[in-house]
Amino acid sequence: MELEELKSAWTQMSDELNHQKKLTNQIILDMTKQKYQNKFTTITKYETLGAVVCFVVAFFVLLNFSKLDTWYLQVCGVLTLSFLIVLPVMVLTTLKRLKNIDILNGSYKENLKFYLKTKNRLLRLQKIGIAVGFIALFFIVPVTSKIISNKNVFLTSLKTEQYIVFAITLIIMVFFCRWAYNGYLKITQSAQELIQELE
Amino acid sequence: MQKEAVFTDLIREHQSLLYKVTSIYSDNKEDQEDLFQEIVYQLWKYFDSFRNDSKITTWMYRVAMNTSITFIKKKKRRPDSVPIADVFVKQSDSNDDTYEERLRLLYQHLKYLNTLEKGLIFLLLEGKSYKEIAQITGLNDSNVGTKISRIKKKLKINMAKQ
Repeated sequence: MELEELKSAWTQMSDELNHQKKLTNQIILDMTKQKYQNKFTTITKYETLGAVVCFVVAFFVLLNFSKLDTWYLQVCGVLTLSFLIVLPVMVLTTLKRLKNIDILNGSYKENLKFYLKTKNRLLRLQKIGIAVGFIALFFIVPVTSKIISNKNVFLTSLKTEQYIVFAITLIIMVFFCRWAYNGYLKITQSAQELIQELE
Repeated sequence: MQKEAVFTDLIREHQSLLYKVTSIYSDNKEDQEDLFQEIVYQLWKYFDSFRNDSKITTWMYRVAMNTSITFIKKKKRRPDSVPIADVFVKQSDSNDDTYEERLRLLYQHLKYLNTLEKGLIFLLLEGKSYKEIAQITGLNDSNVGTKISRIKKKLKINMAKQ
């Protein structure tokens, strides 16, 4: 094949392609929107899964709430329920708002402003979630212990192994929270860059 | 006309241009579809920033080629693309075997070129002048000329081998 043949093959292909205008307006708009939303697919998947687990546990606690027979265990129960329901709902709502930014119709400035506001809200929620997660250990453990094995941990002295398990759980939580929070930062940062590049 | 309508008309009008860029820079159908969508997205992002100081196609070539280079670097499949396989343009609707064979050879030769060389030869095949190529790529005119003559030599040697 000579260089000239290469050129004529290309020209012939170009002519053929020019007669194949198959994309519709809707497809073009859909693919543009999809690209933006893809950035949040992974994060939403994990959050939804996490939320479902939380709701199932909350339902279990609610069903067995009558087993919490002292006022302080009931307070722990209410706090556990709030932790398991309120935060996941707030995070999912914020993620939904982020995903639904109308990148095709809103102006750049409006989108960027809305995005930054929502992103900061999401990160704040994550920070709260991480902080509360540690504190939650101190009220979730008594509740589950009472419901599952009918033991009031406030009246029972813990064994050394139990202290060790508790400490290991705390350490694992520290690493997990750091990893998850950095992941959030990375995803939201890349999406923010996308909107900033619009300028 | 609304911005959205102007944009979609532009993409429809020049979809063969986008198709050709993606065919040069991707190895398989999936990557090609993904790259196509990425380019459309990037064109939308920068649509507002287009000023009429150059032809719209010059701007489109530039965005498409820059996106392709970034795409090659990342080269990872993105999830949930809009299914466009049924509407995606084909290189040929004809049943002409000779033509199909020429196309196959064409892409085979282009495969041996590096990213920049692919871009330059693509623009040359598109019938662009050195000046236009320089405008799209950001190289200067004489640099374009030198590089293209080198690519031609490289292609010739490669063609002679086969």
